[in-house]
Parts: sequence; C-alpha cells; structure tokens
Amino acid sequence: MSTSEAAQPTRIDEESPAGGTRAKLLKRFPITTELTLLVINVVIIVAMALLTDTFLSTYNIGNIFRQASVIGIVAISSTLVIISAGIDLSVGSVTGLSAMAVAVLMSEARVNMAMWPAILISMVAATAVGVYHGFIIYEVRLPPFIATLGSMFVLRGIIKLISGAQTIAHLPEKYTDFSRLDLLGVPALVLVWLLTAAIIHYILRYTRFGRNVYVIGSSEEVARLSGIRMRLNIYGIYILAAFLCALAGVLLTARLSSAVPTIGQGYELTAIAAAVIGGASLSGARGSVLGTVLGTLLMSLITNAGIHLEIDPFLMQSITGALLTIAVVIDMMRQR
Amino acid sequence: MSQSSEQVMQVKSVSKRFPGVQALDNVDFEVRGGEVHGLVGENGAGKSTLIKILMGVHQMDSGAMYIDGNQVHIHNPLDARSMGLNAVYQDVVIAPELSVGENFFIGKMPTGPLGNIDWKNVFARSAETLHGLGIDINPRARIIDLSPGEQAMVTIAKIVRDEARFVIFDEPTARLTTEETDKLFELIGRLKEQNLGVIYISHRLEEIFEICDTVTVLRDGHYIGTHPIAEVDEDKLISMMVGRNIEEMYDIEHVEPGDVVLDVSGLTREPTFRDVSFELRRGEVLGFFGLVGSGRTEVLRAIFGADPYDAGEVRVLDRRIPAKRPTQAMAYGVGLVPEERKLQGLAMPLSVKTNINVAAYGDISPFGVVQARRETERSVRLVEELNIRTPSVDQVIENLSGGNQQKVAIAKWLCRDADILLLDEPTTGVDVGAKVEIYRLIEALIQRGKTVVLCSSYLPEVIGLADRILVMAEGEITGEVMSQDADEELLLRLASKIQTDEVGMR
Repeated sequence: MSTSEAAQPTRIDEESPAGGTRAKLLKRFPITTELTLLVINVVIIVAMALLTDTFLSTYNIGNIFRQASVIGIVAISSTLVIISAGIDLSVGSVTGLSAMAVAVLMSEARVNMAMWPAILISMVAATAVGVYHGFIIYEVRLPPFIATLGSMFVLRGIIKLISGAQTIAHLPEKYTDFSRLDLLGVPALVLVWLLTAAIIHYILRYTRFGRNVYVIGSSEEVARLSGIRMRLNIYGIYILAAFLCALAGVLLTARLSSAVPTIGQGYELTAIAAAVIGGASLSGARGSVLGTVLGTLLMSLITNAGIHLEIDPFLMQSITGALLTIAVVIDMMRQR
Repeated sequence: MSQSSEQVMQVKSVSKRFPGVQALDNVDFEVRGGEVHGLVGENGAGKSTLIKILMGVHQMDSGAMYIDGNQVHIHNPLDARSMGLNAVYQDVVIAPELSVGENFFIGKMPTGPLGNIDWKNVFARSAETLHGLGIDINPRARIIDLSPGEQAMVTIAKIVRDEARFVIFDEPTARLTTEETDKLFELIGRLKEQNLGVIYISHRLEEIFEICDTVTVLRDGHYIGTHPIAEVDEDKLISMMVGRNIEEMYDIEHVEPGDVVLDVSGLTREPTFRDVSFELRRGEVLGFFGLVGSGRTEVLRAIFGADPYDAGEVRVLDRRIPAKRPTQAMAYGVGLVPEERKLQGLAMPLSVKTNINVAAYGDISPFGVVQARRETERSVRLVEELNIRTPSVDQVIENLSGGNQQKVAIAKWLCRDADILLLDEPTTGVDVGAKVEIYRLIEALIQRGKTVVLCSSYLPEVIGLADRILVMAEGEITGEVMSQDADEELLLRLASKIQTDEVGMR
C-alpha cells in the first residue's frame, strides 16, 4: 500500500506537461552531435531535391559521396589525433606525398613500376612520417602543432622535388579505373571510405587502444599515472593517422588520374573542420568517427548544393567557413 | 527600528514529506534581526526544503510559522516577499541586460511630468543605496558586464531596497573569488547592522565560523540543535552533522601488521627530498604528515614511479621496482591516488566506467579488444561496493560530487586489485559524509589484507586513522610516531622542524 502510494505521485510528476515528457524523450533519444548532423544533412538533401531538378539523381548523389570519400578518410585521421588532444597539420602533405609518390613510381615516363609495388612503397613512405611524428612528439617533446607544421612544409618540398614540380599524368588505366569501379551500385571509393570509418570506429569504441586515446586526450598525466604506455600509444596514434593519409593519397591519385604538385594542399584544414563539425573537441577526449563522417558529408553536400544553385564558388567558400563557425558555436551552446 | 529587538522569524515543528522521503520532520528554527544564523547539514539534510518552505516555493505539511510573534501563512513566493523574506540563490536572478539602476526600479520607475522616466532620479537613488551598503559599483553599469561577485552584491542591494527584513543566502560563495567573498562578508556585516535577520547556508564550515553568530544543524530532515557559534568548534559541528562523534568517525578497526611489503631506502631527489627510508607492513595504515612543500607528495610520486629519483631504492616484497615507470610499480601491486584529482587522478570528461577500468584494461582485453560486458560488470560492482552515487556508470565524471569522484579514483585501483595504496590527500574537497565513507573504505581495504599509505595535511585525520605516522619537513623525515603517542602539537613541531634535538641529530 505504502509503496504504491509512493510510486504514484512520482509517475504523475514525470508526465506533468512542463517538460516531463520532453525530459523522457531526451533520455531515450539524446540529442547528440551526430543526430543533429544527420538531421541537417537530410534537411539539405530534401530542400535541394525540391529546389532543383538536377540534384536528386543517382549520378549526383554518387558524386557527392565520391568527392567526400578521400577527404573523408583524411578527416578520420585528423579525428584520431584530435581526440588524443593532439593536432596534425601535415595530413595534406602526407596525403600528397603518398599521392605523388604513387604517380611518379607508376608513370611510364618516370619509374614505370608495377601497380602493387608502387602502391606499397608509397604507402610505406607516407606511413613512415607517422613514425617520425611519434619520435619528435614523444621523445623530443615537441608540441604536435609545431611538429606537424614543420612536416607540412618539409613534405610539400619533397613532393615538389620528386615530381620536378610537374603534373604527373598518363597513369595505367588498371589503377585509375578503380575510382570508377562500382560494387553493388556503390562507388568503390565510397566503400573504402565507409569501411575505413567502420574499422576506426571499432578501434576507438571497442579496443584498449581506443580507450587509451580518449584517456590520453583528457589528460596525459592521468593516462601515465594509470599505467597507459605513453610511448606505444603516441607512436600508435601518429602512425595510424599517417597510414590513413597514405591510403587517402593512393585513392586520390586514382580518382584524379594524375598528380599535381599541390595535391592534397589545404586538406589539413578541411579535415579538421569536418572533425570539429562532427563534434570533436580540440581540447581532446571528445569526438567520434560517425560524427566526422557526417561532418565530411555535410561539407561535401553544401559545396555540391552551391554548384546546383549556381552560387559563386568564392562565396561558397565563405559560406563553408561561416558554417564551421556556426556549427561549433551551436555545439558549445548545446553542451552548456 | 524601535521594535527591532522583537524582529524575529520562527518556524515550529515543520514537517514536509515528498514521495518516498520525509524531507523535514518536526524542525524548529528561528532567526532574529541583527543576527547571522548559519544553517548546516550534509546534502539531503533538509536545508533546501526548509528554505523553500520559508520562501513559499513548497508548503509545509504541518507546523507553523511566525513573524514578530504573529502567525503567518505563506502560500507562494510573492507572499514571502511581501512579508520581507528574500533569498539570494546560487545563480543570481536579475535582468542581465539592464543596468543596475533599472534592476532596482523594475516595475516602479519614477516618472517625470510627461510620463517620461526620470533617469536622473533612478541613478541618483540607486547610487545612494549602493553607497549606503559600501558597494562600489556604477549604477549605470549593465549586469552582464559585472563579475559574479558584483552581481551578487547588486542582488543583495536590490533585496535591501525592497525592504527585506530577513535574507537567506544559499551557498553564496560557490562562484566567488576569495576577494569577492571578503566583500560579501563585509556586506553581510552591514545587513546585520541594519538589523536584518540573515540565514546563511554553506558547505564551507570555515565561513560559518567567520560570519555566523548562531548555527543550527539539520541531519536527515531532523532538527539536531542550535548553538551560539562561540560554543561549538569544527569537530563538534561535524559530529552533529554526521551523527557520531569525531573519535568514532576516525575509529576504524585496525589489523595486526604483517610482513614488510614495501621497503623504501635512501630515496633522494635533490633538492626536493633526501634520504627517505621507511618500511611498510601488510595491513598497516601509515600516516604521512607534512606541511605543504615538505616533499611528502613528491616522495609518494617517486615511489610510484611517476617522477624520477637520484638515489635510493624501492622494494616491494623484497623485489626492487625500477624507477620512473608507473607501469612497473603497478605490476608490483602499487597504486597511487594523486593529490590533484582533476588533473592527475581522473579523466574528467570520460565516464565512470572508463575511469574505473582505466588502469586494468589489460585483464579484460584479449588481443586488445575490450570485453564490454565485463567492463560494465566490474564498474557496476565497484560503484555498488563503494556506494558511489551516480545515475549510471556511463555518467561523465565531471558531473559527480567531489566525494564520489574521489571514490572513483580509489575504485580504479581496486579494479586492478592493487595491494599497496598510496593515498595523497584523499579527503580534500570532499564533504563530511563522503569523508566518513572514505575512512570506512580505508578500513575495508586493510581488512582485506591491503596496505595503505595515507598522506594528509589534516592532523585529526592522520592521528585518527594511522597506526604509525611519519612526519616530513623540508624533504626529510623528521620523526616517526606511533599513533597512540601522537598529538597535534608533537606532529606540528616535527613538521616545522623546530624541535632542537631532532635538528641536532641531522
């Protein structure tokens, strides 16, 4: 008797109109950054489908995803580093190094190497940059910002050196065809992006290494005093980040069928923007692969929408920047 | 002012029941004009409920309220205000975009002949009020441009203008700096001079002693007692709040010390500490006392491998632990709960679950993949065992109270089943109830065969809990005292190194 008495008013309390049901709904479906982004993405797609006839075609939608896929992989790399409270300004150059190396190695006019060895060598070289970052950041204790800023310039120089500052084109079709390949109606590039996302998502969510990345991001001292092996993990983070860029570079050259000396330039900021829109915090310990995937998609969608609405591309760039600012401000307000 | 001596607000036998909890049970309380009356008690003691009844937010189930001897009925906050009752809550509620003066005159702006607002008058009279209370703020300043402390001052000034006779302060210093707190206390002093009755609620007992004339203690919804502040000390208040006396609070069941488990010899790191040697036996609680800067924290960190040392060695069960590697110390069963909980002990933005498991993922991660089910099980078990109050193990640490955070910091080592726990100031920033729980936890640990080093600058705690106490001063161990021989004076003398023969020996 007394228990039912006690329980009843509580229930009435919860369902009282002033916010009770809303609180309940929020508990079941918390308004996460990811959910907000998903909604924004859908709204833009629906709006564009209504506003234009050209937007909602299989070709165009495929194109949006295809364009998002390479930068999408780079953004996942940035997310990993940002969650650990680091920053990697060299992702564009590392991607560029891998992209240019594979072109130079494969090009008939240059090294004329077979496809797989060329891909392997390019990726190993670009991934090695991650080893260097681990060294300079963990052993030498250089702040990641400075360490990777240096690499950004050094590697860009190397890209220009190995290419002779020239565009490398005429690559084997066997290689460039990959970017036009569809599997079950889905572009292969997009599949690689989503597969990569799934793997890194799994690593961050379900492995010990993933847990460590978040703990390191929240405080290195806490991580160290909890027995997390800092050397192993810091090297791990930067090597994995570089590997993802290496992969992105190989895909990028395939998609463009050529490599220009500026290939990948500016990716670092786009990638950081996508991660931040996706909820990653530059102070570490916050961010997710899903958020970054949606953030990348949003940026790609908006660029594409701009083209279909025939908005001046320069203006579009400003709009994208404003979007980044707004997204972060909204997220900050939501947190409070 | 002539009737000032009769100015008094009383509540008698107030009871209030919420579903499932008796929030107040026959509570008496009174505050007189010209008095600052402290209201203390742990979380859930009923302080907020009492205040809300006074302010008309809740209605009492039974009991009566009197102002100046006449019974009054307060049905809503407006009633309360019209009777001169006002409250300053933790978050100030005034119109932030408006100026100080406008806030004072909201709803009753003086107007000129044409119905225009008489701004000159507004600001002049506002300045007068502020000046009268010794508050140095421009009445034309907008509220949002003021610091939290200044905002609090303005709120109080507004209340005074509104002819309050009784003012309630609910944790007013939570957001203030030390300097602002001093100013607030000055202001409260002026309210007292103007014969207002002040009710002051704070977790910080030192504030109660600083400004209150009288203090009333509530516990679990019951009235425990009212005393003039001069008649109580901190220990007395705490024991009233927690319901047992201080000796009982520290009264833990010790175990007979066993073999030596930790042997530190000649540990030195210039210039911080030198030649630190001691043994620790299984089941012991070793107190580590020293003033700030004595090197005690640094010694603990060196033992754990958090910092390097120049000379000496640390042995666990007669095996030497390599220096500089927390992972090595952990492998030998040592765990450190560091002094700076928020910077060193806990990953604040992450969940309770992650923080409990963080030092022990190795056990549940075959091939590096965390077994999520076991991760949750372990954290749920420890949350229950340690009575950590959190809505779920997925809650973010930042949202827990200090005491519960500290329990998570300790749970982290229990999750690893560490044998030797180095606790550095485990009860700073923790409320009294959680302190007692941490003491019980230390007791439970030694009963389970663990060994504890308790580093603390709070003497009663060290004397009350430890079997044996080491005292450090200026980087050296200046004395070792068995707890039955320890008193505050002796330990303080050792800690400040003024005992001449001790100095002479070195």
